[in-house]
Amino acid sequence: MTTRPQPALAARDIHKAYGKHQVLRGADLTVEPGQLVAVVGENGSGKSTLLKAIAGTLSVDSGEVRLGGELGYCPQDPVLNLNLTVDQHLQYFAAAHKLDSLDRAGELVSLLGYEKYRGTAAGELSGGTRQKLNLTLALLHDPDVLLLDEPYQGFDWETYLRFWDLVDQLHERDKAVVVITHLVFEQERFDVLADLVEGRLTPRATAVKEHSNAGV
Amino acid sequence: MPASEALRGAPGTPGAPGTPLYGQFPTALRFSVREQSRNRLAALLLVLFVPLWYLLMTSIAGDKDLEFKLYSTGELLSVDGKHVTLITAGMNSLTMISGFVVFDAVRKALNFDKRLAFAGFRQSTLIGAKMLAIGIVAGTIALYTALALLIYWRPGLTGWATILAGFVTMTLTYGSLGLLLGVLVKNDLEGFFLIIMGGLTDTFLQNPLGNPAANKPALQYFPSFGPMQFSVGGSLGDTVMWRYLGFGLLWAASFAVIGLIVFHLRTRSRRPTR
Repeated sequence: MTTRPQPALAARDIHKAYGKHQVLRGADLTVEPGQLVAVVGENGSGKSTLLKAIAGTLSVDSGEVRLGGELGYCPQDPVLNLNLTVDQHLQYFAAAHKLDSLDRAGELVSLLGYEKYRGTAAGELSGGTRQKLNLTLALLHDPDVLLLDEPYQGFDWETYLRFWDLVDQLHERDKAVVVITHLVFEQERFDVLADLVEGRLTPRATAVKEHSNAGV
Repeated sequence: MPASEALRGAPGTPGAPGTPLYGQFPTALRFSVREQSRNRLAALLLVLFVPLWYLLMTSIAGDKDLEFKLYSTGELLSVDGKHVTLITAGMNSLTMISGFVVFDAVRKALNFDKRLAFAGFRQSTLIGAKMLAIGIVAGTIALYTALALLIYWRPGLTGWATILAGFVTMTLTYGSLGLLLGVLVKNDLEGFFLIIMGGLTDTFLQNPLGNPAANKPALQYFPSFGPMQFSVGGSLGDTVMWRYLGFGLLWAASFAVIGLIVFHLRTRSRRPTR
C-alpha cells in the first residue's frame, strides 16, 4: 500500500465514439486536491465529451472514473429551468444537496454580481447572467472536485476577473478544478495544461508552475 | 393557477445545522406545479377555446337524436346528439390542453431534472412530485372544462359528477401521455402533432355524430372509451359504471408508468465507476 493520498479525480482509459467517429481513445486524467488543470484542444477534439463522461451525464464505451469527493459540474450550455427565478433555482439545488443554509449561494451571487436578478425568471435573464447562475449551481454545495466547461462565456471583463478570484480562492482551499479553455493568454494561471489530441490527453506543466506536481 | 400556500416548501428552522433548509418533496412539488401552470398559451386555450369549442360543436350537432351504445348493459341509448357532442367536445379539448401542458413542461425541464438528480435529488421524490403536480394540474383543467359545460347543459348533480370524473380520467390519461412523449420525443412539433392527432382521433371516434361506426367494438381499445362510457352512462343513462372509469385510469397509469421509467433511465448517472 502506498501512503500517497487519493487523487481528487482519476479518469482511466475513457473511450467514447459517436457512431463511427471515435472521439475519446483512451483518455486519462488525474487531478490532485488543490490542482488547477486546463483542458485545451481544438474545436471538436472532445473536451466537452470528456467532461460529460467524467460528470456522468454521458455514457462511455469503456473506462473508469473515480472521485475523491463531491463533484460540481458546470455544463457549457446553461442547464436551467426558464420558468423559475434565480432564487427558486437556488432553493431547488439547496434541496437537492440537502444544504442547511443558502449562505454560500448568497456569497456566489454577490461575488458574480447578479443580486438584482434574484427575483427574475431564468428565461428573462441575459446570456451572461444565465451563465452566472449556471456556474453558481455547480458551486453551491462547495464541492471538492470541479469540472467547468468554458464557464465564463458571455461574462464581461469585470465578471471574468471575479471568476478568477473565485477560482483562486477554491485553489487555495485545496479544491481540484478542471477548466476547459480556449484562451491562450490565461494559460499561465493553471498548474497543468492537458492537451486533448486525437482522443488522448497529454499533460504539460505550465511555464511558471514547473515545480508543481503534474499528475496527469 | 398558483400553487397553494400549503404546497410551499417552507424553510426549516434556520440555525439548526444539518437540517436541510428545503425538503425535497415539497420543493419539487411546488416548482413542478409552477412550471406546468406557467404555460400561458394553454391557460388562454382553456379559458377561451373550451367555451367556444362547446358552442361550435353544439351548433354543428343540432338537436338530432343519436343512438349511443352502453357496453355495460348492451343497450342502445337514444340520446340528444347535442349532449353527447358536449361530452366529446369537452374531452377533445382537454386531451389537447392537458397533453400540451405536461408535454411542454416535462420536455423543457428534462435536462434540468437530470441536473437535479445528479446534484442529489432523489429520483423517486422527483418522480412522485412530478406525478402529483400532473394530477393537480389535470384536475384543475378537468374541473374548469366540466364547469364550462354547465353554460350549455345542466345534466343534474350525479350526471355532472360522472362527466367530471370522466374528464379527470381523460386529463390524467393525456397528461401522462404528455409525460411519456416529453421524455421520449426530441422536438416540439412531433410531440404536439402526436397529442393533437391522438386526442382528436380518440375522442371524435367515440361520438356517433361524427362517426357512424361509433358503436363498434373496436372503439373499446381507445383511451377515451372508458371515460366516455362512464360519463354518458352517468349523465344520460342513469347508470354509474365504475369499471369503465377503471379502464380509463388503466390507460393513464400505463402511460404514466412507462413515462416514469423512461424518465428514471434518462436522468440516471452514467459515470463508469467500478
